[in-house]
Amino acid sequence: MNEPIYILGIESSCDDTAAAVILNGRILSNVVASQKIHEEYGGVVPELASRAHQQNIVPVVDQALTKAGISKRQLSAVAFTRGPGLMGALLVGSSFAKSLAMGLDIPLIEVNHMQAHILAHFIEEKNQSKPNFPFIALTISGGHTQIVKVSDYFKMEIIGQTIDDAVGEAFDKSAKILGLPYPGGPLIDQYAQKGNPKAYSFTKPKVGDLDFSFSGLKTAILYFVQNNTKTNPNFIKENMEDICASIQFTIVDYLMDKLKNAVQETGIKEVAIGGGVSANSGIRNALKNAEKNLGWKTHIPKFEYCTDNAAMIAIVGELKYRQKDFSEMNVSSKARMTF
Amino acid sequence: MTYTYDLSHLPEAAKAVLTGISGKTLLFYGDMGAGKTTLIKEIAKQLGYNDIVSSPTFSLVNEYDVQNDKLYHFDFYRINDEKEALDIGVEEYFYSDHWNLIEWPEKISNILPNRKNEIIVTQNIDGTRTLKINACE
Repeated sequence: MNEPIYILGIESSCDDTAAAVILNGRILSNVVASQKIHEEYGGVVPELASRAHQQNIVPVVDQALTKAGISKRQLSAVAFTRGPGLMGALLVGSSFAKSLAMGLDIPLIEVNHMQAHILAHFIEEKNQSKPNFPFIALTISGGHTQIVKVSDYFKMEIIGQTIDDAVGEAFDKSAKILGLPYPGGPLIDQYAQKGNPKAYSFTKPKVGDLDFSFSGLKTAILYFVQNNTKTNPNFIKENMEDICASIQFTIVDYLMDKLKNAVQETGIKEVAIGGGVSANSGIRNALKNAEKNLGWKTHIPKFEYCTDNAAMIAIVGELKYRQKDFSEMNVSSKARMTF
Repeated sequence: MTYTYDLSHLPEAAKAVLTGISGKTLLFYGDMGAGKTTLIKEIAKQLGYNDIVSSPTFSLVNEYDVQNDKLYHFDFYRINDEKEALDIGVEEYFYSDHWNLIEWPEKISNILPNRKNEIIVTQNIDGTRTLKINACE
């Protein structure tokens, strides 16, 4: 039998403070600082605050250990997000991870947040198959849009990315133009499901084969809305479902075009997606269709492993632990980091 | 001063900004889609940054290594309260002597540094953009 390897993962790269415990590939606990935690501790939730990480980190780690049913003395190592992210936020996670690892005299493991989004696919889950190397990973979120060729756990190459806005941002800003609250990406998806995706057409931005650009699309949608409301002030209200369906169709089709290019250029037909936008029904359906029509094998992780979370940091921690790839205590946070 | 340009003359527009300002703090005002990020991309390039400049709306701040210096690219679009900006430690960036290029500065008007240049980007009916540059004294 395998010796039990318990890894604590800590994630604090942007808004959310998160901690998770993994045991031999299975997640025992996955905690994200939420209203509930603050209620328990009698605090208020700052909507967005790196200093909030300082308030959150102890209760979040505490809860992750409690939920996992283990004591901190059972931990084999502490893994943390080194970058990329917001410097002030990263520093809280790294300082805490270092102190804990030093106090317990166990290894410290640095994790690249973007690699973790991809390696989240290797968390053991019922009814979830793991991708086989090599595969193509598409990471889509409010902050990222990347196509990565993954040859092995830590052999990754970015082959395409956005040159301006991220796809989640394109959704959120389109929603804002339509008068929906920010972030309104999920609302677009809701309306889109009742609308006609071919009602309006938007030109897809033209950039390199595998790169993305969403800034121009945002402007095109803005002009489209401005022009139509000139003649009909109720244009948005009357056509919300069709407009949302058309925007979503354009964005998803654009993502799929790029994925098709990536599959063609690499000859790799196995595709895994991650990031918060993976929840979008349009992209999920498009991938299902690609399995049927193009013979791809596709993977979508559980939603809680798609958004920023610590489970993905913990799985990378475990993979590195097995390779004895540990960090020095003087490792410093990095706002920008590539693979 | 004002400067009107179309996208094909973006490099000249960026040059006009860099020659028209004094100091390293630049505030970019303008509606969504006015072209603030696009202009900042070009400015960063002219300051010696060769990689991709993406929007920091989600990340709030992106850091770029430019020639012998650092450039911080902020976007306060999604924040609701100035306190949130203080909580990410903006003062440390603003008073760092590095470049600070700030989108949506109106969201944090009370905590902006005193020495600052304002660049107002407006979009004209014919698709061109006009910059109004108010350099700091």
